[in-house]
Amino acid sequence: MLKVSALVKDYATPEGAFRAVNDVSFEVAKGQFYTLLGPSGCGKTTTLRCVAGLEQVSSGTITIGDTVVTDGARGIHVPSYKRDIGVVFQSYAIWPHMDVFGNVSYPLRIARPKVPQAEIRERVMDALQLVGMAHLAHRAATQLSGGQQQRVAFARALVRRPRLLLLDEPLSNLDAKLREQMRYELQELVARVATTTLYVTHDQAEALAMSNTIAVMSDGVIVQSGPPRQVYQRPANPFVANFLGVANILRARVVQHDAARTLVALDGEAGRLSVARSADVRVGDLVDVVFRPEDTDISPVAPAGSHNVLPAEVDRVSFQGGSSECVVRAAGIPIRSTLPVRIECHAGQAVWLTIAAERCVVFPAGAPSNVSSPESRMALG
Amino acid sequence: MTTITTSPPRRVVQLGLGGNVALLVAIVAAIYLISGPLITLLLAAFRGPLDRMLFESDTYWTLSNFAAVYLSPRLYASIIPSTVIFVAGSVCLTFLVAFTLAWLVERTDLPLRTTVFTCVLFPLLVPTVVLALAWTFLLGPRAGLVNVAIRALFGWQGDGPIQLFSMGGLILCQGLALVPFVFLLLGAALRSMNPALEEASAASGASPLTTFFHVTLRVLLPGILAPLILATLITLEQFEMPLMIGRPARINVFSTQIYYDLNPDSDVPQFGRAAAISVMFLCIGGLLLYLYNRAIRRADAFVTVSGKGYRPSRIPLGRWKIPALIFVALYVSFAVVLPVLVLVLTSLYATDMTSLAALAKLNFAAYTNVLSRPELWLATRNTFLVAAASAAIVTCIGLLLSWAVLRTQIRGRAVLDFISFASLGIPSVIAGLAVMLLYLMIPIGIYGTVWILIVAYSYRLAVATRLSRAALMQIHAELEEASYVSGGRWIDTIRRVVLPILAPSLLASFTLLFIVGFREFTIPLILQGSENVVLSTIMWNLFLSRQSAEASAVGVLIIVLVIPVIVVLRRQLLKQSAS
Repeated sequence: MLKVSALVKDYATPEGAFRAVNDVSFEVAKGQFYTLLGPSGCGKTTTLRCVAGLEQVSSGTITIGDTVVTDGARGIHVPSYKRDIGVVFQSYAIWPHMDVFGNVSYPLRIARPKVPQAEIRERVMDALQLVGMAHLAHRAATQLSGGQQQRVAFARALVRRPRLLLLDEPLSNLDAKLREQMRYELQELVARVATTTLYVTHDQAEALAMSNTIAVMSDGVIVQSGPPRQVYQRPANPFVANFLGVANILRARVVQHDAARTLVALDGEAGRLSVARSADVRVGDLVDVVFRPEDTDISPVAPAGSHNVLPAEVDRVSFQGGSSECVVRAAGIPIRSTLPVRIECHAGQAVWLTIAAERCVVFPAGAPSNVSSPESRMALG
Repeated sequence: MTTITTSPPRRVVQLGLGGNVALLVAIVAAIYLISGPLITLLLAAFRGPLDRMLFESDTYWTLSNFAAVYLSPRLYASIIPSTVIFVAGSVCLTFLVAFTLAWLVERTDLPLRTTVFTCVLFPLLVPTVVLALAWTFLLGPRAGLVNVAIRALFGWQGDGPIQLFSMGGLILCQGLALVPFVFLLLGAALRSMNPALEEASAASGASPLTTFFHVTLRVLLPGILAPLILATLITLEQFEMPLMIGRPARINVFSTQIYYDLNPDSDVPQFGRAAAISVMFLCIGGLLLYLYNRAIRRADAFVTVSGKGYRPSRIPLGRWKIPALIFVALYVSFAVVLPVLVLVLTSLYATDMTSLAALAKLNFAAYTNVLSRPELWLATRNTFLVAAASAAIVTCIGLLLSWAVLRTQIRGRAVLDFISFASLGIPSVIAGLAVMLLYLMIPIGIYGTVWILIVAYSYRLAVATRLSRAALMQIHAELEEASYVSGGRWIDTIRRVVLPILAPSLLASFTLLFIVGFREFTIPLILQGSENVVLSTIMWNLFLSRQSAEASAVGVLIIVLVIPVIVVLRRQLLKQSAS
């Protein structure tokens, strides 16, 4: 349905060309929900704007349905208004001088050939019904709350029954509680209209919850793409691991590597870990072991006969309601651990930390892992 | 949570045919309206002999015009010193009065503030030449009403005692005439000041006076500097007051010198010389414009405004209430009440008013006389037609230009921006001269018609581009993009999204330009023909032929016509200051 190949987008800046999108290719099948996920400045919004025809590409092709809408090499650029798309903008872009009905009916009112008045009315009301705004059809746009504006923006994007729906961070301008609620509504809505959707977000929770496929972007390239579960559990590198939730990344050296298992020794004599999966490494290599806080366990006594147990000391505990977030130190190295509330511990306590071997992933040391976006930095504490 | 883009996004221009044509027309028109006349002017400055038109058969390239102007001792002994004293004196007076008024209205508990606000605006709308006429009738040494009254009171004979036709008189009139404009600018600056800054000073133990000098003035300084430079620029290009008040006193400033070169008493017009002296004038204008641009940028950087609706606390005047009211009353009576009164009186007493005894013979002869002339009706129609047409043209061009500068990647956007801004530095006397030279040269038959006035007035792009640019910057680009992705072409987008959202700013721009056009005197005077008279030039002609009553009658008529505009403008401005 949507096919983007070898998309490149350069911006001219005072310091020279800046490559916002660098050789991005992906395909979205009909009816699928495809998410571009990444931190600010990774090129995801630029990619979406290229698909919408709002940016001129530097090279590459974009095909919607059977139509080539953009081809850098052949100089094809179908203007936005001739692309069969619906877009929901980050700011919603609700026109303040029209009421709700005026906003939603706009795409039909300017359509050529003309759409009959009666049909416009019917389709607009259908679209408003879909987003639960039919009773507010004649409210002024300036009197809408954030959530209502968002629904109107959706109705406007859908009223033309476009082949492709483009959503540019539609939830990011809402407050936390409303965002949660709208996420469910959006999920339901998208399932109902079954339109092919390209979704752009920096919020991993949204991406995981709604997508058929997630593509994680960084510095203008797609780092990894796949179904949400796969991307979350088998990150292609520490960056992806880090961006999709919280990850512990520990430096280690490979001491044993064969078909059965890989054994690594953590830095600072913290202990040895056996890991289930690993990239192509050899004995003696410096590596990063990556695992998530929820894949750890803490007990006050040494669990009998189990692998991957490290002696540690509790550094900090923060109670989260449904769980506790701890930082423990094993030979001085901080490790984050998520615990069920029934396990209680306190700072300074000596504990045993168990790390699930089947959840550990090993990458050659020095692979990119830092995330530059302010949001994820906050998530990492 | 916004996406931080590392560079300004290079947006696709989704113009289509209609858009390309519209933008092209606007750009070409803007360039033509401003640089066409100016280039002609420059060429004329280098063509000789002195008294010939640009491309008559026996003309040649020469520097003699420049030599005649810039080697003449008169320039350095008389014109430049007069201009400097005139501008410096007027601007000082304007600022003193305007700042005091603005501060009283915006920051104190002065009673009747909205009334004062409206009254102060009045001279802004009345053509300066009408004010000049009124003040001549009021303060003229021989027949001026005030002088007549003083002489009657003390039993004096002869002239005076007030000498209006002097540098002092000229400065007084010009200084007061510009007060409303500066009052508006300073009022905006005072309104947008964060009162917490002053409150913090008070909380630190500073007296109101200390706070005023150490905090209020300092914080406002960048906001004051820009209006100060602008006021200097405007005063420098003023023509009406020097013509009416300065001429009898033989005071010659830049603007009047250009006019006298074009209309010498005994000689043929000296186009080349007028053009040559204009060049220096333009250079000074350009310099002031540069300073102004820097000042507004600095004022923007110096954040006193946060966009939040502050409700500045008002300072109680206490026992200063009475002196403050007296000050306001003095200004209002001198700038509004007395001029109107004297015009009405003069128009009703056709006889020469050298003594109070003439007050007995009231009649409407002047009005019947004036109203029976078809010329007056033509002038009324012309005044409205030219003001409205040029305001509409300039508003449209201004919108399209600022759209092109902000929303497209057209090469040379900076040049467009510069051109539209540069119009601010072109005095109307030069605009009139340049347009005259251009259409004497191109024989398309608009010389002497209203069309040449419409074209000449339409060079003032700065106001329109600034206003629509500020408004466009407020509109999120996604509002327009939402239209494109909904299937809207450029034309649909401009018509259904941009225009309606910008409507209030466009209306403001139109109103302002309409007022400027309505007040215009210099350009129609220079381009005067039998067909294209406007009200202000008719009034001037009547005054020149010593028909004081008829001239006053036209002046009263202009004031009557301007009153509805005041009502509209006042509503707009009050709405603005409320929001």
